Amino acid sequence: MLTVTGLTKSFATADGAVRAVDDVSFTVAEAQCYALLGPSGCGKTTILRCVAGLEQAEQGVIAIGGRVVSDADHFVPVHERSIGMVFQSYAIWPHLDVFDNVAYPLAVARPRVARAEIEQRVMDVLALVGMQAMARRPATRLSGGQQQRVALARAIVRRPSLLLLDEPLSNLDARLRDAMRRELATLIRQIGITALFVTHDQVEALSLADRVAVMDQGRIVQEGAPAEIYDRPKSLFVARFLGAANVLAGKVEERDCQGRARIALGGGHHLVLVTESGSGTAVDVVLRPENLAIAAQPSADAVNAIAGRIVALTFQGSNVEYDVDIGGGTSLRVLARAQADLTRGAPVWIGIDPRYVAVFSGS
Amino acid sequence: MGIARSTHPTRHNLDLTGRLVLAVGAGAAICLIGVPLAMLLFAAFRGPADFLPFEPGAQWTFEHVRALLTDPVIHTRILPDTLVFVAGTVAVGFVMAFGLAWLIERTDLPGREVWFSLILFPLLVPTPVLAIAWIFLMGPNAGWLNLMIRAAFGLEGPGPIDIFSMGGLILCQALASTPFVFLLLTSTLRAMDPALEEASGASGASPLTTFRRVTLPVLLPGLLAPLILVTLITAEQFELPLIIGLPAKINVFSYRIYFELNPLSSLPNYGGAAALSLPFVVLGVLLLLVYNRLIKRADSFVTVTGKGYRQRRLPLGAWRWPALLLASLYVALAAILPAAVLLWTSFFGYALPHSATAGDFSLEGYRALLANRVFWLGLRNTFLVALASALVVTSIGALLGWIISRSQFRIRHLLDFVSVLSVGIPAVIAGLGVMLLYLSVPIGLYGTVGILVIAYSYRFATTTRLARAGFLQIHKELDEASAASGARWLATQRRIMMPLMLPALTAGFILLFIVGMREFTIPLVLYSPDNVVLSVLLWQLFQSGQTAPSAALASIIVAVALPVIFLARRTFARRALAEDSVFRRSGFRFAAENASNKK
Repeated sequence: MLTVTGLTKSFATADGAVRAVDDVSFTVAEAQCYALLGPSGCGKTTILRCVAGLEQAEQGVIAIGGRVVSDADHFVPVHERSIGMVFQSYAIWPHLDVFDNVAYPLAVARPRVARAEIEQRVMDVLALVGMQAMARRPATRLSGGQQQRVALARAIVRRPSLLLLDEPLSNLDARLRDAMRRELATLIRQIGITALFVTHDQVEALSLADRVAVMDQGRIVQEGAPAEIYDRPKSLFVARFLGAANVLAGKVEERDCQGRARIALGGGHHLVLVTESGSGTAVDVVLRPENLAIAAQPSADAVNAIAGRIVALTFQGSNVEYDVDIGGGTSLRVLARAQADLTRGAPVWIGIDPRYVAVFSGS
Repeated sequence: MGIARSTHPTRHNLDLTGRLVLAVGAGAAICLIGVPLAMLLFAAFRGPADFLPFEPGAQWTFEHVRALLTDPVIHTRILPDTLVFVAGTVAVGFVMAFGLAWLIERTDLPGREVWFSLILFPLLVPTPVLAIAWIFLMGPNAGWLNLMIRAAFGLEGPGPIDIFSMGGLILCQALASTPFVFLLLTSTLRAMDPALEEASGASGASPLTTFRRVTLPVLLPGLLAPLILVTLITAEQFELPLIIGLPAKINVFSYRIYFELNPLSSLPNYGGAAALSLPFVVLGVLLLLVYNRLIKRADSFVTVTGKGYRQRRLPLGAWRWPALLLASLYVALAAILPAAVLLWTSFFGYALPHSATAGDFSLEGYRALLANRVFWLGLRNTFLVALASALVVTSIGALLGWIISRSQFRIRHLLDFVSVLSVGIPAVIAGLGVMLLYLSVPIGLYGTVGILVIAYSYRFATTTRLARAGFLQIHKELDEASAASGARWLATQRRIMMPLMLPALTAGFILLFIVGMREFTIPLVLYSPDNVVLSVLLWQLFQSGQTAPSAALASIIVAVALPVIFLARRTFARRALAEDSVFRRSGFRFAAENASNKK
């Protein structure tokens, strides 16, 4: 379990001090995997390094497994914290082979760990990451994926209370990244360790983590389960950051007492849905491409349907991405299965399920 | 044959002109190093000793080798002196350089940029300038430092510091060698991923354990390689053993070679000098091979790290003050005090700052110097030779770099080896080889400025390395696109490669120009009244007791060198020096390995 309360840290730059982390608090429950997600420079790595003890925060309290490791009065140095860390560059020591890299945390442990036990635990953890056959391979002869496995094995071999991962997949090429992501997810669940990781890749965060905190400019702007964050983003920033979304400008025309509102979009289209925005407000309407239905005929029960014309199709294998011109200089991207009657230039209807529409008061 | 060749297509549409240009470059490279070395080899086995190898009357003989093996002076004096000198210098210089490099690369020492520039000072002025300044500072009788220490502690002279001793020689050589090692070590330290140390901390290791089990072993190959190189370079040193070591009766190998050529009371002993040179060259090649192995290991250590690289500096806190003191101490001894004592002495002679009066001030030193015809000749020669040799070496370096990095010619392995070899050849031996060659080939070059240009130009390892690195950075498709557009080989080189290579070549040119400006050993070995350069003139003035004029000349050299340095540093030199040290760190690989790495 990890609790971070009121964490604040600034860095001196040429233009004066910059708050890299601004009063951040969150809790990672036991055996939970928690992701800090945000663009580069949002402060997520600084938080991770403060938790590790590689940086010292100015304010705030950090407790790992119930033990306070950093607050106003004292600071436990990195090597006395019960952590394991996977670095972005993996930081595999080049002068040691795979076995010795992984055995290192046990070899430097005090009280000493018996040789036989080190041997046993290292081989166990190497088996866990599928590297037992390469125990004696020099570190300089490892591929990116193998380095990642060794780094992970090294981080968990001494059974720390907390596993920290700094952009663990960013160093791998795209194909390998998908495979390793699945493997990493399985492994973290299997050993049931509490884990905190930082990433700028929303797919990584959403698929690996039990809970995700989206960060912007040193603050957590939204926290929740992956599905919750994805489906109900609280701000335009989060909505945009979590995936390629259609953002349409609109205006609330009328709103009844149950909150059902009629929103006018450009091109003479309208949407009817439940929103908190009051009558007359300018809003941004966010529609995810995969939540839109596309058909040559309007479906009978569709409350919200928009007519348009296909201007471009991009075949993507299992799906097709349609660019639909809906008039008023606006086009919508729709991700759907290929259909024979949907060709370039064809008139179509786009069906919008109000449950998957996010509306934010515009600027 | 035609069929066999067609399976191995020519990749660079090399036409006849191209082949010709490359052949000239390769030929020049071999002539500049290979032929003088061959002459050296012949001279070592041809006798009698005062005959040139191919002079009528010369014969094959083992006389020189036998004399070398049986000479008691070699075993009882020269060998021990050389060993102590090299070991002492390397130990002191390495510790100083590591301390400075670590402070500047890995800590938050204030004013790092300024320190960096100041530390390079000894690398940029001729060594005799420094030697004379140090004699003014640490001479046993009238040295400034001695006078200050004596005044402070109420001691009687002479001493307590005696520069004319093994300790003094080692200190001075260490001060002079430090910037070179410093540059090598900064690149080693810069190349280390700090995450390697952080990962050790995150594994539960204390800072001390981390240093012992991670920092040191990871740095080790990167430290050993410069250690080997500086050992080699120290063994080659000639200037300080001549100016400081000789009065102290310290006799090292490089000086002995010079002595054989300029004995006090007999004819030059060409054979003896050549025989003495051979073990030196062999040792040099062996050390370079060891160095090469270490560098490969160091490189494999570096390449294992990936992205996410971020250098974090150690906060010094209260240790800032001792660290600053250490850096100031070096800079004071190696740069500030030497410059100050030279300038002062040029105006005041031996009068000391605390007792000098306005009446002691005199421009006589400058007046005498400027009235000296030899000064103007030397000034002209110095610039001429430095410019011409830098131009020659840059051109050859570019051609060799192309052959080594771009072509499939077998000869590229030989050329790569030859260019590396130049590092292992001491200046005094290079001078000797050229002397033997052009005394034997009477084409009127001996005694002219031209022979200096030829002799200086054997140092093409640096430019070859810079050019090779430059070519490797330029994607092959850029020249292929030019060829596909219909350009001939030479046009491609001129219109595409030259503009792209210009920064790398300019950097190499400036570096070689500075090296040429500070050269002393080669022009001394090949000295004639017509080809005198400023560093040699300085030594002659100093030798003949003309203190003020020699101080004036040294001040002028520093004054000329400084703007060049700052100008160069502003634009290119930082890059040149950085790349030069990178080349020394990651360089000296032979082409074969490169070919296999390129996959």
